[in-house]
Amino acid sequence: MNILIMVIFVVLAAFTLAAGVMVVTVKNIIHAALWLIASFFSVAAMYLLMEAEFIAIVQVLVYVGAISILVLFAIMLTRHVTGEGVRQLYKRWWIALIVAAALFGVLIVPTVFNYEWAVQPSGAQISIASTVEIGTAFMREYLLPFEVASVLLLVALIGAIVIAFEERSTRRRVLTLAEEVEQRRQRNESLRLAPTTHASETSE
Amino acid sequence: MNMVDAVPLPWVLAVAAGLFCIGLFGALSRRNTVGILLGVELMLNAVNLNLIAFWRYLEPNVVAGQVFALFIITVAAAEAAVGLAMIIAIYRTRLTVNADEVDSLKG
Amino acid sequence: MLQFLENIFGPSWIVSLIAFLISTTVILIVTPVTFMMMTWFERRIVARMQDRLGPNRVGPAGLLQAVADGVKMFTKENITPRAADKWVHLIAPLVATGPVIFLFAVIPWGYGLSPVDINVSVLFVIAVSSISAVGLMMGGWGSNNKFALLGAMRAVAQMVSYEIPAVIALLSMVLFTGTMNLNKYTELQGGLPILGNTLKDVIPDLGLGWFVFTPIGLVGFMIFFICILSEGERTPFDIPEADSEIVAGYMTEYSGMKFAVFYMGQFLFNYALSMVASIIFLGGWNFPGIPQLISIAPPIGALASAVVLGAKAWFLFFVMIWLRGAFPRLRMDQLMAFAWKFLLPLALINILSAALWLTIMLWCTGDCTQNPWVFTVGGINPLGWLGNSPVLRQLVGFVLTAIINAGAFFWLLNVNRRPAGETPADLARDQAFGTASLP
Repeated sequence: MNILIMVIFVVLAAFTLAAGVMVVTVKNIIHAALWLIASFFSVAAMYLLMEAEFIAIVQVLVYVGAISILVLFAIMLTRHVTGEGVRQLYKRWWIALIVAAALFGVLIVPTVFNYEWAVQPSGAQISIASTVEIGTAFMREYLLPFEVASVLLLVALIGAIVIAFEERSTRRRVLTLAEEVEQRRQRNESLRLAPTTHASETSE
Repeated sequence: MNMVDAVPLPWVLAVAAGLFCIGLFGALSRRNTVGILLGVELMLNAVNLNLIAFWRYLEPNVVAGQVFALFIITVAAAEAAVGLAMIIAIYRTRLTVNADEVDSLKG
Repeated sequence: MLQFLENIFGPSWIVSLIAFLISTTVILIVTPVTFMMMTWFERRIVARMQDRLGPNRVGPAGLLQAVADGVKMFTKENITPRAADKWVHLIAPLVATGPVIFLFAVIPWGYGLSPVDINVSVLFVIAVSSISAVGLMMGGWGSNNKFALLGAMRAVAQMVSYEIPAVIALLSMVLFTGTMNLNKYTELQGGLPILGNTLKDVIPDLGLGWFVFTPIGLVGFMIFFICILSEGERTPFDIPEADSEIVAGYMTEYSGMKFAVFYMGQFLFNYALSMVASIIFLGGWNFPGIPQLISIAPPIGALASAVVLGAKAWFLFFVMIWLRGAFPRLRMDQLMAFAWKFLLPLALINILSAALWLTIMLWCTGDCTQNPWVFTVGGINPLGWLGNSPVLRQLVGFVLTAIINAGAFFWLLNVNRRPAGETPADLARDQAFGTASLP
């Protein structure tokens, strides 16, 4: 049984990490968002493995059902950004890679494996906090943070509407295909010119 | 018969750390702002995984771990909503979502 | 199933595995058959309403029509557009349909017939039903077709908007009952209408204490059913696949089995949510005689309860078809306005009603001094006259919440009425003189 759980865990962990790598490396941003959903799912499965069923379901509800949909919607509202044929990473992306790898290999992993964790002894009868207890905690000990979180959500809701709202009078005309192609050509030209001007600025 | 007996805690933490570092790499190296947001979401997920692992292995009878994870999920939702609204607003005015092309404030 | 096998062979992980494999197999057989029956049922009923015959050639009364359609779907060419994103296009139907079949795992099909009994099954239903929107989005985007993308955007916007009133309607029921376990809802809905189980010592369990008879349950049921119609893209809300506007929406580029899988997901989604609505609001498998049958002969009772629950779900599906035969399609802005300006405020007021009901039921029951629910105004307990009689409390709660909910309903209708000068009569008159300013 323990071996079975171990195998399930390793498979889930490998899938989570592989999906994460795909999120940050694939060219097409919609594919990245879809891989992100896969990664969310396997994290939710790990929560289930750790007997946190409420968190697992909330993970699916909020991350998959809301945030991912929001991301996909935003990508589709901003056309031409799926990223085919455009450079996706900064030129000096290897610095970020070194930082992330060093953080993982030098700092976190040695710490995690060398520290003596006070894990509950196996076999001991332990009671796991249930959904009812979480609800009670939200209404008693954590009432103030709970209220603050709800205010935060309200502020985010209003803020998102204010930022993304577009007056009907200022809305851009829907372009014809010919105009769109022309606009894209112009933008590509300006992009091609841009690096040289930047270089001259920095060299001064 | 449960996860605590089968998988040592450092393994779970190492997976969370790996996810965090992947997300960090994504957030630092992607040009596309949506891509940066995806990296940040991965990092928040890794933190949540850590919190739940600590809760399950160290203090399973205290609700604090799960409550913290729920707060992080709330904050992630708020962050995604505002971030994507900003991306849409930027796209409307600049017709681009690449972070290095939105440089009006650069001297 | 797990309980049954464990009673015979004793607990072991192999027994658990076999039990879940059997449950899974049963679900995977029953759901496609249900889907086939549903297509036949819908076609026959709509034909009847439109004064046609409908499929009646294959098998008795056309019952095998669905099988013939299945054969046709299997043998059709499976087309992937050249410009489409191959993998996204391929996986989309699975992502849209898989979660729907997940739903059937937590729904109790009858007395003691729930494949998996988890504590938070209401939340599970909400969470999993929101996944299929991802599948629709993938299908719409992966086809690389303007109509498909438009359909997918419409579908997802609609699903997300209508999810909120649906969740809040369910939330008011969770508050009302104090549980998120679908299995417990049926137990709570025995007894008499309105009074529920409070008189069970006097009158035998009639199995009629359905929540739809209480004001909170009635408003919740109305909101939830409308939201089901919208999430399952049934007729007044079938904007995403409005064939007269955008071909077939996100399904435009799908053919053969991939199309059939999308179609199956949609029908099964309707059925699963009809079952959830029957369990939460229409009393589950409660019906006069069923509680007695279960206590006398459990296996027969379980079978009868499954039949009763199925009949309720099929009735709700029949109402969906009925609406399809009766109503035209809404416009997109009407759809959104209805969700945000009417359903959402009504659902929020319904939560307030549920909280009020709960207060009346729990206020100072038992020993008044020890109860955390007691609270006095100037030394006098304002609800002390209720005493310890649950019947009186139920009746007072019924009257109060009925007044609040009915008031909210008519107030919202009044707030949302058409502005003066824009009633249908006015618009028709304007049109007659050629000054119409229709959008």
